[in-house]
Amino acid sequence: MAGWVIKGARTGIRSSAYPAGPETAIGVSPGMPGDTAVDSPSDAEGLASLCPTGAMTAHDVSVVVDRGRCVHCFRCAQDARMPAVAWDPGFEWATYTDAYQALHAAFSRSLHIRFVDAGACGACMSEARQVNNPYYNMHRLGFFITPTPRNADILLVAGPVSDAMRDPLRKTYAAMPPPKRVVAIGACAISGGVFGPSYASAAGVKDIIPVDVIVPGCPPPPLAILHGLLLVAGRKPPAPRSSLAARADGRPE
Amino acid sequence: MSMSAELLLVFFLLCAAGVAASVVAPARSGPTALAVIGAAAAIALLATGAVLMGVEPGFRLELWSMLFGGTMALAADRLSAVLMLGAGLVFLPVSIFSATYLRKYAGHCDLRYFGVCYFVMFAAIVLVFIAGDALSFLAAWEVMSISSYLLVTYDLDREGSAYGGFVMLALGEAGTIAVTIAFILMVIASGSLQFGDWRAVSPHLTEGVAWAVFILSFAGFAVKAGLVPVNSWLPLAHPVAPTNVSALLSAVIVNLGIYGIIRVNLDLVPVHGAVPGLIVLVVGSVSALIGILYATIQSDMKRLLAHSTIENMGIVAAGIGATMIFLASNQPVIAAIALIAALYHLINHAVYKALLFVGTGAVEAGAGSRDLDLLGGLVRAMPWTSAFVLVGVLAISALPPLNGFVSEWLTLQTLLRSAVLSSTAIKIIFALCGVLIALTAGLAVTCFAKVYAMGFLGVSRSAGAADAAEVGWGVRSPLAFLAVFCVLLGILPTYVIPVIDRVAYPLTHASALPALVPPFFLPQAQQAENLPPAFLAEFHDLGAQTGEGMLPGRGLVVLHRGQASNPVVFAMSTSYMVVALAVLLGLVFLVFRLLTLGRRTVRGRAWDGGLRRLWPSLTYTATGFSNPVRVIFHAVLRPTTIEDSTEAVATHFRTAIRLDHADVPIIDRLVLRPPMSGLRWLAELVRRMHVGYVNAYAGYVLLTMLVVLVIGLAILR
Ligand code: SF4
Ligand code: SF4
Repeated sequence: MAGWVIKGARTGIRSSAYPAGPETAIGVSPGMPGDTAVDSPSDAEGLASLCPTGAMTAHDVSVVVDRGRCVHCFRCAQDARMPAVAWDPGFEWATYTDAYQALHAAFSRSLHIRFVDAGACGACMSEARQVNNPYYNMHRLGFFITPTPRNADILLVAGPVSDAMRDPLRKTYAAMPPPKRVVAIGACAISGGVFGPSYASAAGVKDIIPVDVIVPGCPPPPLAILHGLLLVAGRKPPAPRSSLAARADGRPE
Repeated sequence: MSMSAELLLVFFLLCAAGVAASVVAPARSGPTALAVIGAAAAIALLATGAVLMGVEPGFRLELWSMLFGGTMALAADRLSAVLMLGAGLVFLPVSIFSATYLRKYAGHCDLRYFGVCYFVMFAAIVLVFIAGDALSFLAAWEVMSISSYLLVTYDLDREGSAYGGFVMLALGEAGTIAVTIAFILMVIASGSLQFGDWRAVSPHLTEGVAWAVFILSFAGFAVKAGLVPVNSWLPLAHPVAPTNVSALLSAVIVNLGIYGIIRVNLDLVPVHGAVPGLIVLVVGSVSALIGILYATIQSDMKRLLAHSTIENMGIVAAGIGATMIFLASNQPVIAAIALIAALYHLINHAVYKALLFVGTGAVEAGAGSRDLDLLGGLVRAMPWTSAFVLVGVLAISALPPLNGFVSEWLTLQTLLRSAVLSSTAIKIIFALCGVLIALTAGLAVTCFAKVYAMGFLGVSRSAGAADAAEVGWGVRSPLAFLAVFCVLLGILPTYVIPVIDRVAYPLTHASALPALVPPFFLPQAQQAENLPPAFLAEFHDLGAQTGEGMLPGRGLVVLHRGQASNPVVFAMSTSYMVVALAVLLGLVFLVFRLLTLGRRTVRGRAWDGGLRRLWPSLTYTATGFSNPVRVIFHAVLRPTTIEDSTEAVATHFRTAIRLDHADVPIIDRLVLRPPMSGLRWLAELVRRMHVGYVNAYAGYVLLTMLVVLVIGLAILR
């Protein structure tokens, strides 16, 4: 009966080293395009026009990627006629929105999460489920899934918010006691992605309830979601803004 | 004439005035007149009962001599008095409730007819209590039976009214016949119609006559008391009766059956040996379980309460059975305790059942339905009614510190006292009956949790319940009156028990008072009685003398200590408990307030899982709540499932499925159905004679003449 204890002890810890150390396993993230400087404005225009979701905008001799729209289609990375975009192979993409306010330090090692699928295609849910498995094992970081919003600190939402999920999402948010934070995961939840806005769905969670942290990706890999949660907990910094992006919209890095 | 007799005369005059007023009063003020006179009569009755209890032990009036059979006499004693008090406590609020309730019949039923029957029944009930001879007893009994039948079938438009009334009348009359035969046997044995003479001859009866009298009278009175297997009329008559009549039926009329059992089988013709007591005990315990089982699965509040009446009468009967057995085993003190428990439960049941029936009437008036599946959420619309019904529900669930707890606790404790008996067989039967009653008590909590949760809490499951309106003070005041008595009878048992002890004393020839209410409030010298000082000192240390000097009486603790062979102690005090509960709840409240000091409370909607709307049909229903019971007790209940599905477009494409249950009570199934179908078969056989041909009838006449001639010739020989 105690065989599993011995087996477990012999196996040792196999969970991801992240966030204490670097993640070295291959293929944990598809990566994402970064802001890139190019040679000419026409190159910039051409590169930006490749993007099917309008995630890229040309600014003079650079393209700036709105990661909240990118669906990792690789068109900007693999088109032979154009200069390649700078590809970021990591996963620490989560950032704050303007509305974000830091949580009390007491929450840094204990956060309860209520997950809502607001019309996601299924991939975001699949990835979100992975953070609960032994490899990513979010319990070791103090994150727990709770079935009722009454106990939740974080509302984790995927999907563009289809019309049918509009009220349930609102009700879930209203049912959470403050302080509460909303984490939108996936391009859909951030900007509507490939689905929204449309006659049947909104353009992301921010149309319905205030969003505090966004986790780009389509879907974001489990480590990206973990990064987003660590961000809310105040244990990781957000993804840095490039100087190109800062120059393009005139806001600081 | 003694004071109690004078008060009783006032009562009868008021009843006569009630009859007269009902006839002459215009239809609009009829209900008010009924309420005022009915309440006044009830007060007169209560005063009579109180005087009989306190000042005069009883009276006897010889009315007039009859052509045969001696004089017609009225005799009241303390047993009559306690039942008068019970009846008065119910009639007073129910009369007031009637004023509001009867308005709904104005214009479509004749209110004069109701008023006349009401007062005639009231007077007849009291006459039953004070009848001093067999003839006046039976006359009063019949008047009571028939007037209550007329009241039950008052609203003939109601579905099942004729059938329910008929079953009630038929079973009731069968019971009366049994009682009459028992009385005839006693008249033959004693040569007198006077109850007083029966007492004298009862020890000298032959075994056969004694048994016949016991079986016939117990069976006959069991019909009115609603004990198995002759309880079928209760759940049929209650739903069709006007609600105020239902209250009287369950809280007063059934008591008459118990009164009959006590009067005849304990007082006039005390049973010999332990076996009759065992029969009463077993019948009572089985009634209790069967009653509560069927109550739990009902969703019609009135039908549920009717089944619960069977349960409570079963508990009372079990107490009476225990009294008989303890008396037969020469344990008069424990017998007195058992009888006190039974009578206490009788009064308690009358009070909380009346409360619940009036509450049902209020719900019916406010929400338009009494089907628990269609109610829900009434606590918001009808806060007063809900609060009063909650008291009744807690009391009937026998939760401390309310009255139901005291008497059920006493009954169970006396059943546990069977250890003093010598026969092992009797001990085993006692233990089994104790188990049945304990199970009953548990199911009662389930049953009445359902009533309150499904009726008053949660979401309204119908438009009527959603738009419910609180009833006026005309209904609230009787509810409040009854609720106050539920509480008083619950928290002051040490003041109620001495009163009932006076009733039990003449029947058991022993007072239970020294053994049940130790005199903690009296000076040391008086404390001896039969409890050792060391034992009492322990209770002193616990604080049993708290209140000494401030409160009258003997103390606030109900306590019984077994003999040396079985020194088990049972003790409780609802009076102290209510204080302790208040203190503890206050403490919890204070601690809670301290802990949450400076916190903000946010009020939001209940979490509904994010559903677009919480449909009432999504919530738990009364039927769903009781389904586990239905499943567990399937062997007894045997519900038949009616499946009714509509198929359309193509076969197997169902557009609607309706599942329903039909419960035929086990008693009807096993006891009433077989003789009924036998009778039907016989009737069918006789019907075949009636072929409709003149020749055939001529043939019958000829045949009859022949038979008569033959018989005549045979006799002449
Ligand atoms: S990977 Fe595809 S979606 Fe993302 S920025 Fe490049 S082209 Fe646009
Ligand atoms: S963001 Fe991408 S993976 Fe997530 S739900 Fe939308 S389409 Fe699916």
